Amino acid sequence: MAAGWWTKKRHYFLYIVREFTALPLALWLLWLLYEIYRAGRGPAHFYAPSSTAFVIFSVICLAFALYHSFTFLSLAGVILHFKVLDKPVRSRLIVISQFGLWLVASIVIGAVLIGLGR
Amino acid sequence: MSEKVTGYAPIEHKPALAHLFWWFMFAQGGVLAAVLIPVHILVQGILGPLGIVRVVDRHYDTWISILGNPIVKLYLLVLISLPFFHFAHRLRYLLVDLGIPAAKTLVAQVIFYGGAVVVTLLAIYVLLTTAPISFG
Repeated sequence: MAAGWWTKKRHYFLYIVREFTALPLALWLLWLLYEIYRAGRGPAHFYAPSSTAFVIFSVICLAFALYHSFTFLSLAGVILHFKVLDKPVRSRLIVISQFGLWLVASIVIGAVLIGLGR
Repeated sequence: MSEKVTGYAPIEHKPALAHLFWWFMFAQGGVLAAVLIPVHILVQGILGPLGIVRVVDRHYDTWISILGNPIVKLYLLVLISLPFFHFAHRLRYLLVDLGIPAAKTLVAQVIFYGGAVVVTLLAIYVLLTTAPISFG
């Protein structure tokens, strides 16, 4: 396959972007693990990150995270097959349930993260 | 007429358990990353640092207090480690798709999936040594 094949068509490009989402998400999770480690070193070493660079980094990671969520959860309708009362569940319903799960989880986690703050 | 065939080893059908395990980890990691990560980035990475909302990790006492909760430790372990099994697979195949055949080798597999195992062990260590376990 020729180098740069993925730049020839929009569909190929988006496929590579979908695969690439793993890198910024991995970096953000490593940052989170580092924040947990830093908290363990005691209050003298603690500071809440608030630099512009960090916010920009997070905005970029969020864009990739949302792209991963939309593409991955949309695939659920193709991958998952269920039967209820011997009738197959429509793929559209499976996708809606996945997005519903995402919405509920986001509200609960967001409420905990914000609710326990001061 | 039945004829005994000799010279062939009988075909054994063994379940591909290793294959099953890695695919399970890939799928679960993908779902967890899709469902859990965006809200953490939004709240802890953007809204908190910009001062739009109060977030638990902005103050040492609230952050260390919640980090001591065993359920939170378990949640953070799942949140941080499982997606790495998904990422390992995606990034390895990204390299394959970009024309790097070395990413198909056993060494590459050990590096990528081993990396996910290393992150898991690191997360366990950090979570167990960060704050004493407490339900308070």
